[in-house]
Amino acid sequence: MPRIKINHLKCTGCRHCEIACSLNHVENTSNPRRSRIRIMKDNERYYPVISGPFVDAACTSKHFIEINGLEYDMCAFCRASCPEKPYFIEAETGIPLKCDFCGIPPNPSCVRWCNSGALELVED
Amino acid sequence: MNGWVGRCLRVNLTEGKHSVEELDTSQAERFLGGRGLAVKVFSDEVSPNVDPLSADNKLVFSSGPLVGTGAVTGASCSIVTRSALTDTLACAKTRGHFGAEMKFAGFDMIIVEGRAESPVILSVVDGKVRLVPALEYWGRSTSETESLFKGSLGNQWTARETFVLSIGPAGERLLPDANVVNGRFLPVGGAGIGAVMGSKNLKAIAVKGQQSLKVADGNKFVQVVNTLMNKLNSATLTAQSMPQWGTAFLVGLCNQNGILPRNNFQEVPISLGNIGAESLEKAFALRSQGCFGCPVACIKKTDMKQQSYEGRGMVPTYLSIGTLGTNCGVSDLSTIGTASMLCAEMGLDPVAIGGTLATAMELVEKKVVTVDEIKIDLQFGNGNGILEALTLISTKKGYAKKLGQGARKLAESFERPDLFMGVKGMPMSPFDPRAIQGMGLHFATSNYGAHHLYAYTFIDEVLNVNDKIEPYETEGKPALVKFYQDATAVLDSLGLCCWPLMGLKFKNFVPLVNSCLGISHNEDDLLKIGERIWNAERMFNIRAGINGSHDILPERLMKEPIPDGPAKGQVSRVSEMIPEYYRLRGWSDKGEPKEEASGAPGTGEV
Ligand code: SF4
Ligand code: SF4
Ligand code: SF4
Repeated sequence: MPRIKINHLKCTGCRHCEIACSLNHVENTSNPRRSRIRIMKDNERYYPVISGPFVDAACTSKHFIEINGLEYDMCAFCRASCPEKPYFIEAETGIPLKCDFCGIPPNPSCVRWCNSGALELVED
Repeated sequence: MNGWVGRCLRVNLTEGKHSVEELDTSQAERFLGGRGLAVKVFSDEVSPNVDPLSADNKLVFSSGPLVGTGAVTGASCSIVTRSALTDTLACAKTRGHFGAEMKFAGFDMIIVEGRAESPVILSVVDGKVRLVPALEYWGRSTSETESLFKGSLGNQWTARETFVLSIGPAGERLLPDANVVNGRFLPVGGAGIGAVMGSKNLKAIAVKGQQSLKVADGNKFVQVVNTLMNKLNSATLTAQSMPQWGTAFLVGLCNQNGILPRNNFQEVPISLGNIGAESLEKAFALRSQGCFGCPVACIKKTDMKQQSYEGRGMVPTYLSIGTLGTNCGVSDLSTIGTASMLCAEMGLDPVAIGGTLATAMELVEKKVVTVDEIKIDLQFGNGNGILEALTLISTKKGYAKKLGQGARKLAESFERPDLFMGVKGMPMSPFDPRAIQGMGLHFATSNYGAHHLYAYTFIDEVLNVNDKIEPYETEGKPALVKFYQDATAVLDSLGLCCWPLMGLKFKNFVPLVNSCLGISHNEDDLLKIGERIWNAERMFNIRAGINGSHDILPERLMKEPIPDGPAKGQVSRVSEMIPEYYRLRGWSDKGEPKEEASGAPGTGEV
């Protein structure tokens, strides 16, 4: 099954993927807050996060981890379309968003507009 | 509306009030938006004789209609005011994410007038416009200001999506060389704006919002963006050189032609030593950053560590290597990197302050003043002197006060105006006009002083992207300069970056504009708008007292030939080109736009 592989080291934070997703889901509309992929910025680095399902069970992501001396907030990188974090709640409708692997096959819209190689389509 | 949000925010700092206005669509059609519309609004509302640092001056922040839509490189917000450095109009182009977020926050334009009694931050976050008291921010660097403000929002999710543009200590102290900074990006163009913002007691503007932007024909638009990305990816400069090194790759090429200046435009470096693009990778860990919607991502960020200076910043670009490096005789990349980081933290414009330092260094070299008097060891080649000066200048204490008045005034105060290497008060960007005639003509005639970012002639003169054009020739240059000045005005007004012109042709942008805005312009229509904008700016400057007699380069460049290197023996022949340039623009032989000047209907009323 094809998947989107994320290499955050390549991400330039340009947010072109956010607009690609928005334009594909809402007619003629560019708005990062209507996108199912969002770019998290942390310590001047960028982390693409693609929204996924939110299960209303005890959340296990609300903690910090340390890698190479930098502290990361796992909540920021969690892909759940969760009510705690407004990132994947659609701005104008309040609907929680979830990636539906859109776009003209084989390229999902966000991958097509990501020029840095941070998003890549891979076959498992 | 397509592209535009359709709303402007007007903030009066004196009264502490704001109002929301509708965008004037008929003017937006004539001036596009961004820089063009800001110039129109500014020159309609503000007297050309306004004291730049008075409450009567205004600041217009203006994002173009393509900004934030997903149009490739649609990120640029122009800031227009009357400059405290040059007395002409000033226009800074801020890239990164501020411009796009300003539109998501609901405004194409923010007009700031008056003066606050004490420091404030203008916050436009999620539909709420607030003037936040900012006494505790005063004196802080731009990055401190940003993180402190984000912390004050009290919600990490809001903070993460908020973008802050601020002045540093330099702007607060009203230094004419000050500029604005957002997200640790070095400012481009528009020196003198930082002081205007400082004079208004406006420390920063923060934006965030959820407004949707509309594009006219989404399907077509997506296709056009795909095509443009393919083109950018198949051109060497935009697919390899820029993403790898940013504009620093120009250093070697310019030096090969004798264009890179050394020691206040006295000579050119013969060998590059360790400052070529390849050395960047050895000196820094490069991290690429793109402005909003940019597939090129030419911004390189890194961590700087040097003796007493530490921090994050931009890896040196061509501009900072030229102005803070070779033109001050410095050829150590890590010093240049630290210097550009300090500029971003202090809110200093690298071209303006680089020019000031180079002037001071030549004053020392020519024994007009001694290092003992200056109390900072400013001698060509002394990197530590530069770093010290950059930290001290914003204190305005002791001798730093004298340095802080800008290059032209500094040279004049020692009765050596001939040592000021600039035009209309703006120090020259690092292109020696003797070795690149078209750029020389642009420097002389530019509405904003000698800054290359208002006409990218080197794309043809050095990089030969479209045609092989000899940099030392004057033939055909007036037309080339006019084209690049007009094209740049168009791209700035749409809110696009001009660097893609290294991989695209100007006409490639036409379908992007049309599918986004739902109009049907052709290339000539757009260039006519560019010409209209150029003329409008020129008219403002003429009414402000800066006219054809100021279209002149420093004498050194017209009389003293380059002593060595590939361009040995060249002088700038700008005076030969100016009559033809005026003629092409349809101006009088004194350089005044005529009312009926070609393609510029209505300049009379601007
Ligand atoms: S695959 Fe489609 S829906 Fe999923 S994040 Fe990418 S653009 Fe959005
Ligand atoms: S388009 Fe790619 S590089 Fe740009 S922000 Fe998205 S993932 Fe990062
Ligand atoms: S080319 Fe560079 S400056 Fe221009 S928009 Fe892209 S990243 Fe920004």
